[in-house]
Parts: sequence; C-alpha cells; structure tokens
Amino acid sequence: MKKVIRFTVNGNPYELGISPNITLAELLRNEIGLKGTKVGCDMGACGSCTVLLDNKAVKSCSILALQVEGRTVVTIEGLNKGDRLHPIQQSFVENHGFQCGFCTPGMVLSAHALLHENLNPEEHQVREAIEGHICRCGTYPNIVKSILHAAKLMRRE
Amino acid sequence: MKNEHSVFGKRFPQIDSFEKVTGRLNYGSDISIPGMLHAKVLRSVYAHAEVVKIDLRKAEALPGIAAVITYEDCPAKDWFCPAFNWQGPVMGKIVRYVGDEVAAVAAIDEKTAEEALDLIEVEYKPMQAVFDMLEAMKPDAVLVRPDGNRRHPSIFQSGDPERGFKESDFIIELETHLGQQQHAPLDRNACIANWTKERVTLWTGTQSMFWCQRSVADYFDLPLNKVRIVSTPLGGSFGFWWQNNYHFIAILLARKAGKPVRLELTREEVFSTVKRRELPISFIKVGAKNSGELKSLSVKHLLDNGAYGNKFDPYQTVVDMYRVENMYCEFLGVSTNLLTAGCMRGVGDFSLGYAVEIAFDMVSEKLGEDPVEFRLRNRFRTGDVLPASQEYMFQKFFFNRDIPVKLTSSGLGECLTKGAETIGWKDKWKGWGKPVAIDGAKRRGIGVAMATHISGLAFFGFNGAVVKVNSDGSVHLITGVARIGQGVDTTQAQVVAEVLGVELEDIIVISGDSDISPPTMATVGSTSMHMVSRATKTAAENAKRQILEIAAKKFEVVPEELEIKNRKVFNKRKPESFMMLKDLLSQPLQEHLCPPTIIGSSSEGFPYDKGGKMMMAHFAEIEVDTETGKVTVLKYVAVHDSGMLANPAVCENQVFGGVFMGLGLGLSENLHFDNETGMIINPNFVDYKVLKALDLPDPVVLFEEVYDDSGVFGAKGIGEGTTCCCCATLANALYNAIGVRIDPPLHPEKVLKALKKL
Repeated sequence: MKKVIRFTVNGNPYELGISPNITLAELLRNEIGLKGTKVGCDMGACGSCTVLLDNKAVKSCSILALQVEGRTVVTIEGLNKGDRLHPIQQSFVENHGFQCGFCTPGMVLSAHALLHENLNPEEHQVREAIEGHICRCGTYPNIVKSILHAAKLMRRE
Repeated sequence: MKNEHSVFGKRFPQIDSFEKVTGRLNYGSDISIPGMLHAKVLRSVYAHAEVVKIDLRKAEALPGIAAVITYEDCPAKDWFCPAFNWQGPVMGKIVRYVGDEVAAVAAIDEKTAEEALDLIEVEYKPMQAVFDMLEAMKPDAVLVRPDGNRRHPSIFQSGDPERGFKESDFIIELETHLGQQQHAPLDRNACIANWTKERVTLWTGTQSMFWCQRSVADYFDLPLNKVRIVSTPLGGSFGFWWQNNYHFIAILLARKAGKPVRLELTREEVFSTVKRRELPISFIKVGAKNSGELKSLSVKHLLDNGAYGNKFDPYQTVVDMYRVENMYCEFLGVSTNLLTAGCMRGVGDFSLGYAVEIAFDMVSEKLGEDPVEFRLRNRFRTGDVLPASQEYMFQKFFFNRDIPVKLTSSGLGECLTKGAETIGWKDKWKGWGKPVAIDGAKRRGIGVAMATHISGLAFFGFNGAVVKVNSDGSVHLITGVARIGQGVDTTQAQVVAEVLGVELEDIIVISGDSDISPPTMATVGSTSMHMVSRATKTAAENAKRQILEIAAKKFEVVPEELEIKNRKVFNKRKPESFMMLKDLLSQPLQEHLCPPTIIGSSSEGFPYDKGGKMMMAHFAEIEVDTETGKVTVLKYVAVHDSGMLANPAVCENQVFGGVFMGLGLGLSENLHFDNETGMIINPNFVDYKVLKALDLPDPVVLFEEVYDDSGVFGAKGIGEGTTCCCCATLANALYNAIGVRIDPPLHPEKVLKALKKL
C-alpha cells in the first residue's frame, strides 16, 4: 500500500507515493534517481549513505523514507552549482581528499554538517565528525586536511 | 632530473575529481540497462554437502520470475582465473563452502527475486568438511576438490642451502601465522549481463577487464570479440573484483531469460561469498655466521586457497630483500572448505614478507646488531640477480631458460636511512631487550621492517595504447587501465601530456571497454606505472613523430630540430619560430588538401631479464598498555622508493592507504570462521574492524626517488606494495616494547596472554 509523502531534495519539492518500508537511500537512488548517495553496507556502519536532513548528517540507509515527510534533504548533488564547486568540494579536490571517491559524498556532507555548526573546528573535532565514515582507501590524513582547509575557505567568504 | 618535466612529477588532482566530489561518477551499482531483471542467489548453508535434489516448481511459478538456474544450467566444466585465484564449476552438485551458490533467480525486481529464493526447496546431504590447512594437507583428509587439496608445490633453490646451514654458527627457526584479512572494499559493485545473438556483454567494476573477457570466452566457448566487458569505476578493490563467480551466474541468467540481468551482492555477501586474503602459515629457517654473514635461508610457506582458489605460489618476491648465499623456497597451496581465498594487496610480499622480516629481525638480535644497520648491511642492491622471482620461474617453465633476472634499481638503503633519521632512531633505539621508555604500565617500543614488491613482471602481458591528437590539439588516450581509485588514468594522462608537450587538461582518457581499449594487463601488482606506461609513452611518441614530420615540412627543417612544449611546436635552435599545435593540425596539408589525422599507437611487452621492484622501509613507535593489552601507534614513518614519481599526491595517498590497510590487519581486522560450521560470523563493518580517522596518527610519508632505467621517466609502481611491511614493523616494535613476539592482529587479549596476564 503506497503512502504519499511531501519533502524537498536539494531545493526541489517532491510529492511521491512510496512503499512504506523503503529507506531514504532507496528513495533517493531508485525513486528520484540521485545516485550520488552510496549504499556501502545498508546497516549504518560505513557512512557512505550520509545525507543532510534539515542540515544534520544522517545515514540514509537507516532512515525510513516516510520519516522525511515535510522535511528538507540535501544530497551531494545539491552542493555544486553547475561548474562551481562548494568550498568543501573545492578543498577536497585541491587537497587530494579522495582516491576511489566512493566515501566522498558522505564525507563531504558530514563535513558540511560540522562546518554548519562550527566554522572553526579543531583537528580532533574534524576526526570525530568523520568517525562514522569508512575510507577503505585510507585517505584520512588528506580528508582531515581538506575539511580544515574548507573551514578556512568558508570563514573567508 | 625531476625538474625538467612540466606535467610528469607534478601534484595534479585526479582528472575525475569533479565527478567524484559531486557524486556524479557512476560506479557499477549506479548504472542500469533498460528492461533489466534483478537477480538473487540461493546459497549453501553447509560448508560441504551434496545437492541431492532441487525443486524449483514453486519458485518458477511465482509471478514476475523470468528465469531460475541451478548447476544443471551450467556447462559441465570449470572456469579458470588466469591468475589462479579460481578454478571450479560456476555451480556444482557439490557445494564447498558456506555461501556457495546453489541456485539463482532473475525477476522483475529484487523483492520478487528474494521471495522466489524462499520457494526453492533444496535437499542437501551434508558431508564432512575440513577447515584447517594442516588437516587438509594430510593424505586422508576430506577432499575439498576432486583433484586433491594440494596444488603442485613451487620450489626454488639457489646455491646449496643445506651446506649453508652446516656452515652457519647459528640458526634461527620460526613458524608464523597471520590473522584473516579481507579486502572489504566500500563499494559493493554490481554486474549487469546481457546475452544476445551477437554476443555477451558484462557491465561491472573489475581490475582485470581482459582476464575477465578471456575467462568468460573460454567458459562459454566464444571467440574473444563476442565477449564485451565494460569496466566501470570501482570504489576500491585491492585484489577483490577481478573475474568473480557471480559474473558467470548473471551471464547464465541473462542467457536463459533472454534479457539483461543485474546482480548486486549485499554487504554480507560481499564479505562472505567473493574472496579473502589467503591465510598463510610460514616456516622460516635462517642460518648465519657470528661474523654477520648470511649463509642460508629456507622458506616453507603454506597458503590457504579456500574452496575454489587455485594458487600454488603466494606471488612473492621476498627473497629479493636480503643478500643470502644459499636459498630454498617451497610454496604449497592448500584447499579448505572455507570461502575462496586469493590475492589481496601485497600478496606474498605481505604474508611471506612478514615471516621473513621477523626471522631476520631475530638474526640481527642474535648478532647483537642494530636492526637498521643489519638491514643496511645485507640489503639487495641495484643489479643484484633475483634468484627466485617469478620472471625467472616463468622463463624456466615456458622456455627452459636459465638467464639471470636482475634488479633494475633499489632505493632500499636510502629508505632505511631516511626513515631512521625521521623517526629519531638513534635516540630512541636503546638496544635489544630495551624499550624506548617505561612509564608505569605503559611501555614504548620502536621497530623497523622493509619490503619489496613487484612493479614490472614481463609475463603479465603486453600493453597497448592509442593516442589521438585532434585537430584542435586536444587529445584522447585510449587505454585499458582500471579505475580503482589509485589515479592510474591520471598518471597515464600525465605521461602523454609530458611527451606531447600539452597540458594535462587537454587529455581525455577513454578506458574500460574491451571493444575499444587495446589489450592491457590487469591493473594489479602495481604494474601500471612501470609497464603500462611504456606502451602509453610509445604511443604518444608515435603521435608526436607524426606531428613533427608535418611541422618539419612547414618549418623547412628536419623533425629532430623541432620540439613541442606548452602546446607550441617550435624550432629548438630558434624558439621564436613556432606554431600553436592547434593551428598546425587544423591546416590542410598540401598533398592531401585536408588537415591530417594524428593517431599514435603501440603494443609493447617488458624485457624478460629485468625485474623492477618497489622498495620500502617502515618505522613504528608504539605504546603498549600492559594492563589493558592495548597497542597504540604513536608515530609511523613510511619511506618508499618507487622511482621517479609521476604524481606525488597520488603516491602519498597510496602509501596512506597501504598503511591503514596493513596496520588494519596488524591491529584489528580479522574475519572469523566458526570452528564447527565454517560460517563467517562477522561479515559486516561493525564486527570486521577496519581502521578509521581516530585510530592512527597521520603516517609520515616520504619518498626516495631512485631513477629506474627500465621505467618511463624513471618510474616504478607503488599501489599494491604499500601494505607489505606494516605488520612486521608493528610486530618488531611490539617486541621492543614488551620482549614478546606476537603474530598480528595484536588484539589486547593476545598481548595480555603473551604477558601471562590472562
């Protein structure tokens, strides 16, 4: 039995009839076609499915799609404006904050959530903000560097 | 030498950075084909059983089911992985490990496919299973595979090892084990197979597009050009996604259903039904004289192949680290009723390398010699003959030839020296049996280990490349390298840009389609930079020559007098006489009345008598809490010689990755098999613990760029080898801290047991 929900993704309003048991990740990837949100483990252990729900970083594989009724979602696709990258994205590029790129959407969004609260984080706060993320390529040193530098870029703006 | 280059050697961001950082890059699980079905696999709950009966009637009757397959739909033959990581039927009447495929379903959606699995009725006749390698080796052991559990042993000998032992003043002997590691890539990948009258197409992430093509073509008796592999970018692989059994299941379903079939594994399936690092057991014996001369090394190394692995050799080059007068190596692959095992980042250089490094650490202790000094004194040097490397084995096997293979370059000494200096070895090393510091229950230790790994092996194959220079000076590089996160498309493009004298942004890299890409070796074994680059460079030079021949006519000089830099073709003696590349290439030629087409191509192998190896020396300072058993890494220094670096940023990241992965096995990663059932009990990221941002201090990564004559612009490989000495470095540091040697993973309870506190 489908249920109709209304919500916003990347600034666009949606009204969709969905199965009640699908996750937010499935809604984003399969119903809306936004593949940037990755599902690495489907049990909230790897962080690759992280999106912003009302500006807070959440694991979209562990949230039912129904829970976004009336709320705002931002996925990785919502950050850049055409060719113009968000400062966090720009910083990840300049500071080599990824290798295979699979964990990157989640990392960037967790960084976004952190910097939304605190534009001047200490290094250990950055590490704690990404503690729920696995980067099997082991790029952590440059991920932390990218986030710290992004904070600097954003403070300037 | 480095500063001559304008593109090669520079820290460019990866060329697909925009796609990665905006979530636009499509990995295997992100693509779809119109009309595709969705597959699910039914798996054995027994480690060893006969499939007596399968009743598909209820499943086949479920609305929305397009096809169901069992072993009866599979050609009655084995398929082979060209790198010996698999031999076996796609599905057989006998299942050999918990998770082995029994049946598969293609349906209109995943939910329906899952429902159908529940409706398949299987009658099993459980059989005795064997999980332990040493048990499986015995003559009366349960047979995991019909042709026996023991693969043909690989044996190398150089000199007279027995005499060497007799002449030794002392002998060190030990047996080592390592924990069970798994690649655990973050990306679950996926595959889509399509079987039409024309041919088979398989879309999937793979490191080895052409091996995959060959395995599929051989299995289905198809000509190679009827098998198309489209290789998507991968979210990590580390030896995992090559040609895997689930590819064949998808293809068989597509053939039966007459429609494309998509198969994506769950995280649990990725952990428990694809592959793991082969579990090693090493027996090492080293004989030396009190004067410090290394007389004899004897290695017996067992590797667990699991249910379908086929390796007879761990893929090692560890005997190329120390100069030992006499040497004997024996490798044996053993099958067990556990998940298939095979290559994972570092292979034998990691697993056997660990054992060798511990043994030699013990030798240096017996000699009372500083372990850094010991390694400096005894290390392999440029030009040394590689006694047991695989090039040698191959030429003997195929051509019955005995031509010595020489090490192309070695920066091992430089790495050791620089690493020692960086970590402050002279101040911290207090001598054997003396920790760096003791502070109540906390003890600090320091350790060193070195490793080598291949970056050029002739028998891996030829490589081809095509470089198209378009009429506006923009360039296409057409290659077959896999995009697995190690930036190889970027660095190959850097080679082309350097040769052609254009900017990196002028190059687009086309890869990942076996219909289009020239045959390229599998992107494994750190061979892309050292070997694929040779073909890439030749193709670019080929294109350059065509350009200069055209320009020479316009400039009225000979081509040798011209050069291209910064997109300009100019006279070397008169640089003010130049033409922009795009102007040259867009102008009509007199003879043909139209502009030229510039296509450079190549097809190249690697010389059989050379072996390029990357070198590394790692140093760790750790703290052990003798009350809790916890091991904390305080400082980690990794110094690498990969020749001249194409892109230091890419290389640095690869070392970071290797250290996190190598120390992962060192500290916490362990895939647990249940002793009774052979089932994996922690197939998820909660219970299989990889290291994350809070677990290690940032490793200090340094490079010693020793020019390699066989390498393009002096470069060797880097990606796979970066894990190799991590476990040994950690274990040696632990020994310095607490005076006990423990094989990783260094779980707190193991440490406490060793300290006799548990």
